[in-house]
Amino acid sequence: MKNPSPASINILAALGLALAATLAVLFFAGAPPLTTLAVLFGGGLDSTASLLKTFSSFIPLFLCATALLATYAAGLWNIGVEGQITLGAVFAAGFLRLPDPAGFPPALALVLALAAAFAGGALWALVAGVLRVYGRVHEIFSGLGLNFAATGVTLWLILGPWKRAGMASLSGTDPLPEVFRLPGFAGKPASMAGLVLAVAAFALVVWLLRRTAWGLTLAAVRQNRKAARLMGLRPRRRLLEAMALCGGLAGLAGGLLVTGLYHRLIPSISGNFGYTAILAVLMVSLVPGFVPVACFFFAVLLAGAVQLPMALELDSSLSGVIQGVLVLAFLAAGRMGIGGRLGGMLGGMLGGTPPEGAEGGR
Amino acid sequence: MDVFLSHITKRYGRILANDGVTVALKPGRIHGLLGENGAGKSTLMRVLAGHVMCDGGFIEVDGVRHAGLTPGAAMGLGIGILSQDPLDFPPLAAWENFTLGGPPRTRRQARDRLAELSESLGFSLRPDDPVERFTVAERQQLELARLMDADVRLLILDEPTTGISPEQKDILFGILRDFAASQGRIVVLVTHKLPEAEELCHEVLVMRRGRLVGSFEPPYDAGLLLETMFGAEAAKAATEPEITGAAAMAAVPVREASPASRAPVLAELADAAFSDEKSALPPVSLSLRAGEVVGVAGVAGGGQELFLRGLAGLARMRGGRYVFDGTAMPGRGMAAFFTAGVHFLPASRMEEGLFPGLSLADHARLGFPGEGGDIRDLFQRRFVDRFHVPNQPTAPAASLSGGNQQRLLLSLIPDNTRLLVAESPTRGLDVASCAQVWEHLHALAARGTAVVFSSEDLDEILARSGRILVFFNRSLVADTPAAGQTVRGLGRHMTGRAVPSVAESPA
Repeated sequence: MKNPSPASINILAALGLALAATLAVLFFAGAPPLTTLAVLFGGGLDSTASLLKTFSSFIPLFLCATALLATYAAGLWNIGVEGQITLGAVFAAGFLRLPDPAGFPPALALVLALAAAFAGGALWALVAGVLRVYGRVHEIFSGLGLNFAATGVTLWLILGPWKRAGMASLSGTDPLPEVFRLPGFAGKPASMAGLVLAVAAFALVVWLLRRTAWGLTLAAVRQNRKAARLMGLRPRRRLLEAMALCGGLAGLAGGLLVTGLYHRLIPSISGNFGYTAILAVLMVSLVPGFVPVACFFFAVLLAGAVQLPMALELDSSLSGVIQGVLVLAFLAAGRMGIGGRLGGMLGGMLGGTPPEGAEGGR
Repeated sequence: MDVFLSHITKRYGRILANDGVTVALKPGRIHGLLGENGAGKSTLMRVLAGHVMCDGGFIEVDGVRHAGLTPGAAMGLGIGILSQDPLDFPPLAAWENFTLGGPPRTRRQARDRLAELSESLGFSLRPDDPVERFTVAERQQLELARLMDADVRLLILDEPTTGISPEQKDILFGILRDFAASQGRIVVLVTHKLPEAEELCHEVLVMRRGRLVGSFEPPYDAGLLLETMFGAEAAKAATEPEITGAAAMAAVPVREASPASRAPVLAELADAAFSDEKSALPPVSLSLRAGEVVGVAGVAGGGQELFLRGLAGLARMRGGRYVFDGTAMPGRGMAAFFTAGVHFLPASRMEEGLFPGLSLADHARLGFPGEGGDIRDLFQRRFVDRFHVPNQPTAPAASLSGGNQQRLLLSLIPDNTRLLVAESPTRGLDVASCAQVWEHLHALAARGTAVVFSSEDLDEILARSGRILVFFNRSLVADTPAAGQTVRGLGRHMTGRAVPSVAESPA
């Protein structure tokens, strides 16, 4: 009989702790624990329709988690992903509202709309980046502020300049013409193109971080910004680049939500994908190989949560509680040395870098 | 109050900061504690104030033996310390700072008590202003008022006159004299500055390399004090008559004295005023020539740290000119200095120079981005064969010893560096590592690199440089060829005792 490696025991221990904590929460919430878990995890997997639903959450989640890998690599706490998604959505919708796109072939117009989405997200992220690098405002604070600002921008657009013909409605802007919608699977709005883009972005980012000099430079900046400065690695520029890449990919997710899922700009279009992506990435301690798994896991939970009220007359917000408990259990397991492999890397990240201003405003 | 420190020993890793120090502090006296940087003065005082626990020895206060004190216990015994950087909370108001650590008081009580103490001490402190708006002297006065309020009977002052004016110093010294004179209280003054110790102290204790090496009573022989502070070789040099000029050239082996004067000017500072968040230097004017080796001396906080950083492009320039190789540098970023061939070797190697979690090979990749995929080969040739970095390309930098950290940093200095600014390049290194560092720095200089380095070891500065800059009290007080200089002479400049006629050799 083979002895399981210590690392896998640790991961199993973390999973066990997470499961136990979740069951305890369900027990105290008065829900039948096992049935609830079955609905939560089965609800996103039990039919083609629900699988497609799962995938429609998986795509933006996976893109945002990929985006976060870039900023975490540079030691940045980018919690402004929500706002960056929103601005991407605004830019994409805005581009497609221009009088001109009709003149382009629809495919080209869609590509340009997604490019605009990337630019929008990148710009929004750069605001936080510039504040961090030149203004010594920590990105956690600016990110939070910019998230609210982005929500304000969408509401203003939906109720103001971009309101539906005749009457403004919180249900969103006028739907996009058919030609500007990304093709879905079997008529369902979960676009293949989005999935391909997300996978490609993931491969690209992992390659950049792991295999290129740029990725090594980001790691150096995370490890020691002072030394990076002395070695002429231009840490400020690297931070801005990481921020822009992250924002761009989050913006792309927003663009895909507009063109592939909702087909219009709606309020709160970011749908908490930005925050959930942070949870997903933290849960696997930034280990890239596990990121798709974590994202899929959360996508299943999101889809399953919708089933809770119907199946068990439980509020779907219970799913949010369970997500939080799971991540906390994983982090706690890691920090307490139970999940050694998962915890070690993150330990440095969480414990090692308190919020500090960008070094040297010289 | 009677305090006896017996065989205090404190070890930080491999460094023995205090090595069996025994000191008796007697009532009614002001004791001066002198010594160069790293001599162990502050450690000893922090043991006494309970800020650190000693590994061996004990403290006896009024006949009661304590194996170690905590800050609270020390305060309870009436031992208070005025740190070099006041231990206050800058955003809080003066009265709030005053109240912290003491008995609970209302705002009115605290303000009244502070006003009363200020009155008797001759301070004028605005009680409602946040401490961050105070000058260094005012922060010190507030701290002093707090200690007086706590009724300390043993007052320790760590370099209290750094950053305050001569008038403020006189006020402070008056207070200290009165303090020690009443009710058998004790003052310990930790300082680098000889004149202050001479002016104030009833007894001067000298520490060197963690040991107590001498104790003196007035009248003080300044020469003897300096010798004791700066060590045996220094003592030897100091017993010789001061020699200058041609005799010195013959007596002291001089390095690169001649090529430097003929070499082209590499960098020129004209009224260059450097500053950082904490301090500012008055304008400095000097020029550096290719191939020159310049040693920079000064006690901690003397301003040489900021000067070196300014030279390397790491500090702001408030004014003046800095021309490097024909290019005006002010306003340019670190990257421009880097491109121009200026390299900075930091004293805190791991904190500022290396990436603890990255492998040695990754350091090579970062340092030589042009090498492309052939990094293993470069690592072997340059890092291992030439600089004797351990042949473990995948090991993280965090695993390196101090000497190997410096070897890694040396390997990362590009060969075409024009100006190398090295902050204490041999600090904490063993003899073999020191020799390797100097072999490389001199090899760089021989190829035309200007090397500017600082050191806490005056013997090293005298032995290794062709020209010496001395900083005292945040300004450049001497710029002189190394030839003919003695430890004693440098020590005088560093401690503000230089007689102007001896000070400047014609430059």
